Amino acid sequence: MEEPDKSKMKTDCPEKQQCMQLLQRIMDGEATDAERQHFIEHHLNECLPCYQEYHLEVALKEMLKSKCTGKAPSDLVEKIKSAIDQNTIM
Amino acid sequence: MDEAPRNQYSQGEKDRIFHQEFMPHVNSMHNFAYRLTLDADDAKDLVQDTYLKAYRFIDSFQQGTNAKAWLFRILKNSFINDYRKKSKEPSKVDYQEVESYYNSDDVDRQITPDLRVEALKDMIGDEISNALNSLDVDFKTVIILADLEDFKYDEMATILDIPIGTVRSRLHRARNLLKEKLANYAKSMGYNNS
Ligand SMILES: [Zn+2]
Repeated sequence: MEEPDKSKMKTDCPEKQQCMQLLQRIMDGEATDAERQHFIEHHLNECLPCYQEYHLEVALKEMLKSKCTGKAPSDLVEKIKSAIDQNTIM
Repeated sequence: MDEAPRNQYSQGEKDRIFHQEFMPHVNSMHNFAYRLTLDADDAKDLVQDTYLKAYRFIDSFQQGTNAKAWLFRILKNSFINDYRKKSKEPSKVDYQEVESYYNSDDVDRQITPDLRVEALKDMIGDEISNALNSLDVDFKTVIILADLEDFKYDEMATILDIPIGTVRSRLHRARNLLKEKLANYAKSMGYNNS
């Protein structure tokens, strides 16, 4: 994606409310191709607040994934497996 | 969980489903349990209880359907029924009130918190994790399901027993709350957001 010229962008979004809702659905992979296309052409490339919000959402999602996930303790995994094996015998 | 058994799996099939379809989600399940309970021992117990229930009710699991969503739903229900009550934190808010708040248009009229990407990317410690943990259970749950686990809206609706519209508005509100916390943190660290 080409970096838009920020100096030529609108400092306000004419349809901010719907736009922010659409951005949420785009982030969640729930928007249609036409909606994505509309967002890219008319907001991501044209309005500064939508451009900033989009990049913030992308960064936040990446940070959440890298900072807020982890592995289960290995003793827990072993405990569950042995509990199931005991259940099986019963 | 739909507890009506739909299948009668053989012992071998049960073990295969359990080990090949259920156990691979243990890391995600543990992360979810830990963020709900905020207690290492409770989280382990909750995950173990969930897996034992899943095994006990394995005949109501339909092969080919989403095992992860099925497990998450059992975990979330176990948390509400068995753990939420004994949690030290009293329920501060009236659920009905919160729910009508999510569903109101106020969600969208809220000014989105002013947080910059640069400030966010400088949060290399536990800031984001702590901010997530500090959200109200209903809000942190939707962020975990959507952003950490990549569940779709319809799957989240099934896991949480709420309409898709509520999933959508709750998630939007949750992300704004999270950004608000992070914006306050960035401000306290001397970032100028404007
Ligand atoms: Zn816009």
